[in-house]
Amino acid sequence: MKLRQHKPDDEIPTSSMADIAFLLIIYFMVTTTFAATRGLDFSLPEEDDTPPVIEKEESVLIRINPDGQLMVDEQPKQLDEVIEYLKPKLDRNPKKPVIIQPEETAPYGYMVSVFDQLRRAKIIEGRGLVERSELPENFPEEDWEEGKNINISIPTRREIESFWF
Amino acid sequence: MRLKARHTQEPVIPTASMADIAFLLIVFFMVTITFEKDKTQVVLPKTELRFEVPKIAAYISVTDQGQVRVTDGEATSVLVQGVEDVDSFAANLVQTFPDRPVVLKADSNAQYRDIDRIIDSLKRAKVKLIYLLSEQKTVDDEGLG
Repeated sequence: MKLRQHKPDDEIPTSSMADIAFLLIIYFMVTTTFAATRGLDFSLPEEDDTPPVIEKEESVLIRINPDGQLMVDEQPKQLDEVIEYLKPKLDRNPKKPVIIQPEETAPYGYMVSVFDQLRRAKIIEGRGLVERSELPENFPEEDWEEGKNINISIPTRREIESFWF
Repeated sequence: MRLKARHTQEPVIPTASMADIAFLLIVFFMVTITFEKDKTQVVLPKTELRFEVPKIAAYISVTDQGQVRVTDGEATSVLVQGVEDVDSFAANLVQTFPDRPVVLKADSNAQYRDIDRIIDSLKRAKVKLIYLLSEQKTVDDEGLG
């Protein structure tokens, strides 16, 4: 008597593939953190034993009080008034240093806000100190990129005590 | 006449493409994942202007309580005793990796005294470039901070 043999199908079992894949997905989802990877760059001037002495009169001094009050050349100002104040001064002398000097107990975030505000403005040939938003929409991007940044200085307490003023 | 038994199709959910979808997701996560060297939880200051921070950089994190963690970008960050210890960290960093930028990941409410001390250490160690890590400022975020 001829017996009928049951021939198994030739196929690779893939039913558990999805389970493995989803386990890996869960692992990646749990371990992934969307890191903040952007910020403001700040070039540190090279430490010199005899740094240039900048007189108060030659610069604009922005003091930041612990309560968030800005004193620009000893006058109280709002953050959005700073550029307006600087405009005539930097139009006359584009290299005039703008010094940010937060009080020791002031929150760090205040200094970053002022630094951000100053970095957003540029000295453009023929227009003086302007913010990007003040320019017409069709203003060439290359011309904006070629604009000069404000000469911002953030001296440390040690530098102020050792060399400045 | 005897009718042939009707062939009934078994109800199945087609799962053949499930693995394809899952592997696509895995590839996405594998490509986008970055293993952070510093996992300190801080509330970053908000800025309108933001630039991409280099992938290979040293990190100094400062919490609002003044806790400082440092890493040269090669290993996970370690807690240091205080801002004074940043001096030796910065000196070693510049000696080993002279051109490596430093990312300052400080809490918006950290006292400026600590930040000033850290920036001073970095200046003295002759670090050339630092990044102040920030979050995007939106129209709702008015004023300082």
